[in-house]
Amino acid sequence: MTAVDLDDERAEELTTLQSIYPELTINLSEPPSASIELPVAPTVPLPVAFDTEAASHPLSHLPPLLLEFILPLGYPADLPPQIKLSASPSWIPATVLNRLMDEGRSLWEEYPGMQMLFSYIGSIQEAAESAFGLNNLQLPLQLKDPFLDFNSKTKRQMFNQGTFECEVCLEPKKGSACYQLERCGHVFCIQCLQDGYNACITEGNVNNVKCMAIDCGKATGANEKKERLLSPKELLQIPLERKTVERFANLKRKKKMEMDKTIVFCPRSWCQGAMRTDKYPKITDVTQMDDFYLQDDEPISSTPPQDQAQPELTADGIEKRPGGITSDRLAVCEDCSLAFCRTCLASWHGDFVFCAPRTAQELTQDEQASLNFIHLNTSACPTCGVPTTKSYGCNHMTCFQCKTHFCYLCGAWLDPNNPYRHFDDPKKKFCYRRLMDLVMGDQADDGARFGGRRGAELEAAFWEEEARRIQDEEDAAAAAEVARQA
Amino acid sequence: MSTGAKKRIMKEYGECMADTPPGMKINFDEQNMTEWEVLMDGPDGSSYAGGHFKLKITFPNEYPFKPPVVSFKTKIYHPNVSNDDKGSMCLGLLRPDEWKPPNKVVAVLRLIHNLLVEPNPDDSIEPSIANEYKENRKEFDKNAKDWVKRYAK
Repeated sequence: MTAVDLDDERAEELTTLQSIYPELTINLSEPPSASIELPVAPTVPLPVAFDTEAASHPLSHLPPLLLEFILPLGYPADLPPQIKLSASPSWIPATVLNRLMDEGRSLWEEYPGMQMLFSYIGSIQEAAESAFGLNNLQLPLQLKDPFLDFNSKTKRQMFNQGTFECEVCLEPKKGSACYQLERCGHVFCIQCLQDGYNACITEGNVNNVKCMAIDCGKATGANEKKERLLSPKELLQIPLERKTVERFANLKRKKKMEMDKTIVFCPRSWCQGAMRTDKYPKITDVTQMDDFYLQDDEPISSTPPQDQAQPELTADGIEKRPGGITSDRLAVCEDCSLAFCRTCLASWHGDFVFCAPRTAQELTQDEQASLNFIHLNTSACPTCGVPTTKSYGCNHMTCFQCKTHFCYLCGAWLDPNNPYRHFDDPKKKFCYRRLMDLVMGDQADDGARFGGRRGAELEAAFWEEEARRIQDEEDAAAAAEVARQA
Repeated sequence: MSTGAKKRIMKEYGECMADTPPGMKINFDEQNMTEWEVLMDGPDGSSYAGGHFKLKITFPNEYPFKPPVVSFKTKIYHPNVSNDDKGSMCLGLLRPDEWKPPNKVVAVLRLIHNLLVEPNPDDSIEPSIANEYKENRKEFDKNAKDWVKRYAK
């Protein structure tokens, strides 16, 4: 085999072509040949169905098309190039490949004697953008994994090569340092996502673990998706630490259970686990928790709640309850397995014992202490009763859970249309002009303290006590005086 | 405060310098970059025209995941600014539940500027002033101008 002369028109065409497409491999021995892999990335993803599966997968990256050609002596003047197109694995229908190869020949015929390889490659690239005119594709099942894999890998590769300006730190970042959110497609740098979400989860502000983009989920257009929390599975992909993600999932579950009046918690003070229930399955594996779990508008469980009107009966005719429980009052703690009565919160006493709801006098010391703390340091939402502490901002509060507007100082419900009127009413002595008290939070550095929604009451109790003490002192002094005189 | 937050504040300061919203001047102290002093002219044609207002913008440690805190150091007669020694504002993107991390100080400054041009009585912090603004615009304008003369010259 002899090498072709570099002045040969064919060699010249190939070397020029290689300077345009550096990935072109050329062989300049007689007859000269070349090959190039052309990526297939249709602008509209091609729906591909595997085997008899009904659902098709829209793929935006498919395995490349291999173009090989040999330039015989006499090309381009008298002979056309020998063109071979193939794909590995072979997924492009033969009819399509033949048509594309024929196009090469007719292109040569159209421009006789002209170098035509560049425009031929161009025309194939253009055809690849429209998936060679294919509207859908049917492939054998064994190609499913490799194809889906190729699609996502290539996507990731393209993404990694790109540059994005993170809207949070305002720095341009390489794609490999960024993460694209699954639902809305917004891109942020991994560092900022981690910082933001870790802070939310540490603070317990789990309802803010959503896309950070300003207008995400705000528009009401039909195509716009509603703003949602990220799924635990996605948080792990960003990646957040598993421990953090577990905290997120458990906190969100706990919040949902606390909002649910049918759920009671274990009376053992060292446990305080929730009662067993099918409605909120215990979180076992966060890696499997993908979207539409944990949203506020949907129950955690995917199975619909049992129809209350027609309770299912067990074999012995006892009504079946969620969690395999067979009595109205019996609850079983999901953590320590204590069986207890959901009415009196004592350990289970059987079905035939009369019991009354437990009263405040029966609280243990620990419970009383934490209750006192809650009274002193929190304000309860007037709608859902969740105890709230303020870390920051004015005293017009919006409830974390149920979005009720209320006053942090006295706990009053506020009209959402004009929440500030409350702070401007001289009749509301306790709150008048105090909208901005403790703006930096309850325990801000100026030493001011909230004192609880019962602050006024406590103060009254203190002064009452103080007055009694002074009175006692005076009485004692008077008595001493009487004794001295006697 | 994290270095990322400091970097972002520096960057935002740079952007503010390159494109300062009209009628504003920003005093920035590199030693204490979490507190900006902004001097804002009352927008022409508004009730605050001719006034010069001093504002303080404080960046919390968690910035940009929490909003900056804005307060008017110059007294101003305005339905959206608290009429006390704090001069606080608490509306729109300044509310912690509305704030999104990509929001910038420039947007906050623009919001304040727009509120001077057109107060928002429906999300007011001073209901009596808001009421006056809605019911008796003449009286409101008179009071606002009067306060400009008294406090903001």
